[in-house]
Amino acid sequence: MTRVLTMDVLSPTEADAVVARARLGDPVALEALYRTYSTGVYSLARRICRTTEDAEDVLQETFFEVCRSIRTYRGDGSIWGWIRSVASSKALMRLRRNKYRATDELNDELAPARGASTALRMDLEAALDRLSDTARAVVWLHDVEGYTHEEIGTQMGRTASFSKSQLARAHQRLRGWLGDEAVVA
Amino acid sequence: MEQLLAVRDDDRSEPELAGAHSHVASCEACQGELDRLHQRTARLRALPTMAPARNHFPAVRTRWQWERNQRRIRMVSGMFTAAAAALLLSLVGRDLMNPPRLDAEQQLQTAIDASQQLEATLHAWDPAQRVVDGRTARLVVVIEDRIAQVDGRLQDAARLEHAERVQRQVELWRERVGLMNALVDVHVTQVSNVDL
Repeated sequence: MTRVLTMDVLSPTEADAVVARARLGDPVALEALYRTYSTGVYSLARRICRTTEDAEDVLQETFFEVCRSIRTYRGDGSIWGWIRSVASSKALMRLRRNKYRATDELNDELAPARGASTALRMDLEAALDRLSDTARAVVWLHDVEGYTHEEIGTQMGRTASFSKSQLARAHQRLRGWLGDEAVVA
Repeated sequence: MEQLLAVRDDDRSEPELAGAHSHVASCEACQGELDRLHQRTARLRALPTMAPARNHFPAVRTRWQWERNQRRIRMVSGMFTAAAAALLLSLVGRDLMNPPRLDAEQQLQTAIDASQQLEATLHAWDPAQRVVDGRTARLVVVIEDRIAQVDGRLQDAARLEHAERVQRQVELWRERVGLMNALVDVHVTQVSNVDL
């Protein structure tokens, strides 16, 4: 059901070798990790954060943390999974720091009534952008990145139920804003 | 919508969700909604990835290396401080545990100086020009006799071997200082019950 974004630029064997060197503090290996995974991290950050500046900050914070903490990476999961969890954590931290909650409420008020005769048809990206920050982060982390509600709740310092209700509300809104989507058989 | 999402995600964690699964299977409208949900999710996943406009790694590397250097400096300076503290503690601590002792020659000189200082004090008082009562006069005589005995023993001690001589002289000069103190007390303060 869920998609896990995989970085296939490095084969598993290559990735292991690069990670081993990175763990020893080899800057060339760390740069190789950056080159391989920076687009994935930036995409995730850009989908969760509202501005490119914030996404770039998240990108830098993420790889700074990777450089600093790669020795703690035990190799239990994929290196991309580990970097992605660092990135999502940094992105959510950025959301909290920016105190977007006030803006969230404003955006919610802007949402058109569901089923209105003048159903607002908009681009999916624009609709996604119109969601509150929390809702957008939940949609992206759950439906695209493949995190469970439990994982999202933990990362947000909330419960799995909170994540579930945010996702439901978000889809309700997307459904309303995007109008009747064509069902492809 | 929450139940529809549960069906989409095949979530059967709660009892009522089983009912939702069976309902959607038999409801055409809900199946349509589920299809829209699937399609929307697929479109979300198909959104293009976005690449950063520039390479941020140089900035990351600079910050990381700076922090790593700072950490090393802190570690080295911490080790240096700890080593210096240990050295200092070993030196000072040893002195604290075993305070430096004056050697015998210093102890002798200290006792002689103290005795001479008391002699000077007594001389400045000029007891010969003062009137004393009979009891005090008798006490002065006793103390002066004791001092004379000590002086005699000091002359005897001068014939001993160096190490033994110095040790003996220290003892005698200290005794002499005690007697001189008593003499000064008797003359100056007319103390009549000096502890001899």
